Amino acid sequence: MRRRRRRQTGTAWLFLLPGLLLFVVFRLYPLLEGLRVSFTNARLGRATYQYVGLANYTRLADDTRFGMSLWNTAFYTVASTLPILAVPLGLALALNRGALRNVLRGVFFFPFTLSVVTVGLAWLWLLDPVVGPFNYYLRALGVPARSWLADPATAMWAIIGTTVWWVTGYYLVVYLAGLQDIPRELYEAAALDGACGWRTFWAITLPLLRPVLLFVVVTHVIGSFQIFGQVFVLTMGGPGDATRTVVQHLYETAFQNFFQFGAASAMAWVLFAIIMVFSVLQFRLLRGHTEY
Amino acid sequence: MNRRAFLAGVAAATAAWPRRGAAQPKTSISYWNGLTGADGKVMDELIEQFTRETGIRIEQQRLPWAELYPKLQVSVPAGEGPDLALIHTVEVPHFANDGVLETIDDATSAGKGFRGDDYLPATWQGGTFHGKRYSLPLDVPQHLLYLNVKVMKEAGLTGADGKPKVPASRDDLVSMAKKMTKGDSFGFAIGTLNPGRYTWGFHNLLWQNGANIYTPDLKRAGVSDAAALEVAEFWAGLAGGLGIAPPANANCRDAFIANRLGMWIAGSWNFTGLREAKVDFTAAPVPKLFKQPVVWSMPHQYAFPKPKSADRAKRDAAWTHIRWMTDHVADWTLRAGQVSASRKAHSDPRITGDPVLKTLLGQAPNWQVGQPTPKWVAAENLTRPVIESVYTGQKPAKAAMEDLARQINALPD
Repeated sequence: MRRRRRRQTGTAWLFLLPGLLLFVVFRLYPLLEGLRVSFTNARLGRATYQYVGLANYTRLADDTRFGMSLWNTAFYTVASTLPILAVPLGLALALNRGALRNVLRGVFFFPFTLSVVTVGLAWLWLLDPVVGPFNYYLRALGVPARSWLADPATAMWAIIGTTVWWVTGYYLVVYLAGLQDIPRELYEAAALDGACGWRTFWAITLPLLRPVLLFVVVTHVIGSFQIFGQVFVLTMGGPGDATRTVVQHLYETAFQNFFQFGAASAMAWVLFAIIMVFSVLQFRLLRGHTEY
Repeated sequence: MNRRAFLAGVAAATAAWPRRGAAQPKTSISYWNGLTGADGKVMDELIEQFTRETGIRIEQQRLPWAELYPKLQVSVPAGEGPDLALIHTVEVPHFANDGVLETIDDATSAGKGFRGDDYLPATWQGGTFHGKRYSLPLDVPQHLLYLNVKVMKEAGLTGADGKPKVPASRDDLVSMAKKMTKGDSFGFAIGTLNPGRYTWGFHNLLWQNGANIYTPDLKRAGVSDAAALEVAEFWAGLAGGLGIAPPANANCRDAFIANRLGMWIAGSWNFTGLREAKVDFTAAPVPKLFKQPVVWSMPHQYAFPKPKSADRAKRDAAWTHIRWMTDHVADWTLRAGQVSASRKAHSDPRITGDPVLKTLLGQAPNWQVGQPTPKWVAAENLTRPVIESVYTGQKPAKAAMEDLARQINALPD
């Protein structure tokens, strides 16, 4: 019996081995190598480097641009979470039934099939302050035009709007899957008891969507802390540093500002720690057993 | 199809398949460049012609300059670099400093027919660092003043001959620009995309005022010196107090094409596109807006990234290509719009007969390039958001430039 179990365990490990090897070589090793590099003054392309202890980490405390990037990233994460949760959910509720639902799902999902660069360039043109159609129609309506991406008061909101437009289709599909998992009998029972509309939404739909909400929040928050593409294409972190995010700061430190890989690795590990803390917190806050 | 017909078809296809050794190119070299615009297509055509004439095949890898340079920095030490690369002059010092590029000794380059006397000094000198040569110049991307005839005519800024007036000074430029600025139309801009963070334009103005990113001894940042602050104040006024330029993130090229921009200082690489877009424009030398009529330029340079192991055939093939391009540089100038670094093509009547190319060549005595320090590119990257914060009025010019000086001085050695 024991021998059989041992053989089964061995077989299981054999099946796991290829995946495990790939994980170790392509995930774990670079991660730990990054940690090691973060304690050095390594520069990309230079063979020699010295260990500098915690210097790269302590320097981050004085790096005002890193502080600004952290603040901007946090602002983006907080400010974008509600629309990312609400807009696709609203659309999912509307598209859960109806004759045109399949067509409309396709229409809303389409932007998500585009690359971030395509989305960024399209919105860059739409929001162009001189030749962009957005301002053109605002002027036609008598509303004063403005430079949405060049104004520190609106630039981050423009990025959030672009992101919501881009990813809504994806979360819409996730929500729809969640909505279709909720047994219809619950709604029928609620209707017999006289509940409908908002009451069923608050009492049945939302609580039973908890696992989906958890998934959306966690993936969105992790993605938000890593936001880079939209910012890089739309504003390059500007105006000034008004929309500069941590990953952009990290990228520029590593690949543009003198290839400082040691300093950039330290930033990456700080970001990793922050994401880890937030992910654990979210799991603790939103976890709960859902019974149908 | 029966079996016999099928076999006959296969035999015919096999016979038609190019055999090894039959009309095979002699050598193949890899060549990385960042010619992602219309000039890339011209380079493709010239390379096809080169391969036809010499039998040497060139495998190009083309990616945006900003991605090309980190890739070179990583690939070359790993022995995975190309046989030949096209880089900007300001990249030479840091690549040379990091051992990414091979040195080119004078005897070798002279033996291949490359001599300093054949080139304009700023371009030839740009290929050296600490007294050693690392690259050979191809052409000279530079600034130019584009004048939109329609916009200027509507503002009454054309002469009796119908040609747009050219500003002779900063005051002149501002007063002319104000006449053209109304609503979403602007009189003046410097830069193609995101004029607020257009460092090359800012450098041009700095150089015109005798200032620079670093002091002449390259020991500390010079961006908070009085001459640089004067430029920063002007920069702040463009979209601010003077209100003559588009917002920081505007697409100035599109604005010029849409006749919403009157005077535009931008790169020489734009003019072939403007012709294709059928914009009614003329070109003039970059006006003297400060003390001297300096024109920003950034020559492209051919460089040999250090190979893992020496391959004489590939190196000879790369030399052959550089020589061929230098000999055919007039074609490159005419089709890609970049004037050559070598003087030979400058007297070609096809080039002197083109008004824009003639203007570009006329600016040659005023060309200036970035300072020869490995920190130049990193300092430029730090400059971008700072000058944008000045342009948009987020920060006062003095405070911003002092902050920039502090950041530049803190760059590691």
